[in-house]
Amino acid sequence: MKTVLEARQVSKIFGGLVAVNKVDLVVPEGAIASIIGPNGAGKTTLFNCISGFYTPELGDVLFNGRKIQGMLTDKVAAMGIARTYQNIRLFKNMSAVENVMVGFEPHLKHGWMKAMLKTPDYQKEQKHIINEASRLLHYVGLAGLGDNLALNLPYGAQRRLEIARALANQPKLLLLDEPTAGMNPQETDAMKDFIRHIRDDLEITIILIEHDMRVVMNISDQISVLDYGQKIAEGNPKEIQANPRVIEAYLGPGAAALSEKYRREKTHDA
Amino acid sequence: MNKQSIQKSAASGLVFGIIVIFFALIGFTVVFSGLIQKALGQSLGVGQIPSISSFLIFLGLLGIWNGWRASRQDKHETLSVKKVLGRSAIAGLVAGVLVMVYALIVGALNNSGINLRTYLSQLSSESVRFFLFNQTIVVGGLIHVFYSTLMAVIGGFLAVASERSRERVKSTRESIQKWSQDRWLGKLQGNPYVSYVLMGVVLLLLVLLPRTWGAYWNYVMGTVGIYVLLGLGLNIIVGLSGQLVLGYVAFFAIGAYTFALTTSPEPHNLVWNFWIALGVAVLAAALSGILIGLPIMRLRGDYLAIVTLGFGEIIRILLRSDILKDFTMGPRGVRNIAGPTLFGRSFTTDVDFMYLIILAVLLSIFLARRWQESSIGRAWLAISQDETVAQATGVDTQKYKLLALSLGAAFAGLGGALFASRNQFTGPEDHALMVSINVLVLVIVGGMGSIPGVVLGAFALKGLPEILRELESYRLLVFGALLVVMMIIRPEGLWPARRPKLEVPVEQDHEPVPLPATAGGEK
Repeated sequence: MKTVLEARQVSKIFGGLVAVNKVDLVVPEGAIASIIGPNGAGKTTLFNCISGFYTPELGDVLFNGRKIQGMLTDKVAAMGIARTYQNIRLFKNMSAVENVMVGFEPHLKHGWMKAMLKTPDYQKEQKHIINEASRLLHYVGLAGLGDNLALNLPYGAQRRLEIARALANQPKLLLLDEPTAGMNPQETDAMKDFIRHIRDDLEITIILIEHDMRVVMNISDQISVLDYGQKIAEGNPKEIQANPRVIEAYLGPGAAALSEKYRREKTHDA
Repeated sequence: MNKQSIQKSAASGLVFGIIVIFFALIGFTVVFSGLIQKALGQSLGVGQIPSISSFLIFLGLLGIWNGWRASRQDKHETLSVKKVLGRSAIAGLVAGVLVMVYALIVGALNNSGINLRTYLSQLSSESVRFFLFNQTIVVGGLIHVFYSTLMAVIGGFLAVASERSRERVKSTRESIQKWSQDRWLGKLQGNPYVSYVLMGVVLLLLVLLPRTWGAYWNYVMGTVGIYVLLGLGLNIIVGLSGQLVLGYVAFFAIGAYTFALTTSPEPHNLVWNFWIALGVAVLAAALSGILIGLPIMRLRGDYLAIVTLGFGEIIRILLRSDILKDFTMGPRGVRNIAGPTLFGRSFTTDVDFMYLIILAVLLSIFLARRWQESSIGRAWLAISQDETVAQATGVDTQKYKLLALSLGAAFAGLGGALFASRNQFTGPEDHALMVSINVLVLVIVGGMGSIPGVVLGAFALKGLPEILRELESYRLLVFGALLVVMMIIRPEGLWPARRPKLEVPVEQDHEPVPLPATAGGEK
């Protein structure tokens, strides 16, 4: 299968702190890849290295075979990597539909001259992105709320709006940073199905940072586990669940031994 | 009455007492009483002390306000006559006693022959006697106490009355609204011709007014118009793209000097055609916007403000320095700047200039609206709200910030050229820091990012001081107070920007709806 994103030995250092330490990551096209790990493990830092917010000190980030580290974020976005944020970051004083329309920015052709003259092709393009933005709002379940200011939307709707804005970029790779944070179980379930739909309907590869293990284990094709900036495990959900290093990272060394013992007893009983 | 309520009433009285004393100290009591007298249609000579009755009206208004404020301590309680009587009486009494103490002191000093004007220029012997209602010290002081209490109680009763009648007023207003909506307003709003008629009326006014209201008002309103141009430009830079530029006057100066140097016989003897020079001035300002923008692209917020502030000053100091004396005439400034010509005829009367400025303003409003409502305006707004995220969403922030700077500078260049042409002169002191500050204030007062706000702000900031001329030396005080009050009651500006309604309905049939359409979650 074709590889969409490849990180080779990526390291990001803040002063004396190695936030991401020689991490390798290969994400095949059409996959839902999750990155998990305890708080402060470097997950969001890795995201920031991929989306161009940070330039890694060492290593390469390749998107469809092209090196993208050091590129400005708008160029990265134009190439087809879109993202959402852990703490929602919308354009608060713009309406929801305008937020989505900003997402079309990398694909707009007409500049300030044509906007001044309101040429027919400019008007056509504007009409097109209004329609597309409305459709995207509808797609994320916000139809009819488009003219509200983003800051007036309820929390769940703001999360959806962020995704709609990212989708407006028409990305090939979508980075979702804790999309179900702060949601109740029903909403989490809906979001889980939705993420799968994005992948299936729009054929977008997805990388997910997530703390909710039910979501991660349910939809991931591949899971990478970070701890203290290092990748300590990688595999499909089954492998990760059984991996003693992962349990250790999450629950401490005692817990790993306990779980090992528990499993042995279980097999013994059977 | 509980202790808290008494305290609040006394505090209100204290504030009003201090206000009255402050007004008396700066002589505002005399000036405002004079204004009331004039408003009542009685004549008043210059330097004449107004009548006692107009002073009583002035004090009465303050007293009523005091009583009103003291009675309405809590929004959620229903007022009873007993409560109000106690509160307003205390407030009035406190204010009155405070004023009496002041009156006794000032009156005694005045009587003992000390000339208070050596310390406070407004406290002439007449004005002190005026403050005591031309009575003896004790009688005057007691009148203050009595009158203040009386008026506060009246204010309290008015507060009760207004609350009692609020329901009725509300229902009456609603029925009037409903009636007008049903009968004619609703029809008018739906009618496209109404806006044409309104526009026609405004245009007619714009054509007729400059001819009728004389040279003075043409000068004042011309200045307002030039500030509208500056405001529109800075609104793009600060209000839309969110870059706090404090050296905006630099672009104004570049426009004015480019125009001046290309049309004046001195120092270069380039006597270009007015329209060509105007275009060159606008282009030069726009270009300078880009040149200044390039090095400061990475700066944000406070740093950008400081750097641009310095830049504005550098331009002014360069203009008056000796280095450029041969090129820009130094501190003397450039004289004999050309006026507009059309088909060989010159149009340089005040009316012509007013028309020219009105045309420039209309054109600029049209252009600014086009940009603001386009994708460019949206990209600017996105940058102003979260530059990092805007860039990660694919907005080329460098391009848009430079575009905002250069378009904003172009408006300033146009304003500067018109300003220089109208005055037939421009010098370094026309381009001081105060211009930048004024324009920034008018954008903020009007409402950031709002074009009608800019127009209103320019009128408030440049027109109002002229209207307040009646208040003589107090006009800056009153003006400052108005600005403060306005920013407290309307912090978002006189005419805040609204977002347009854009969403279009989507056909439900062949669209996938993967995420249920509930808003969900807690706010």
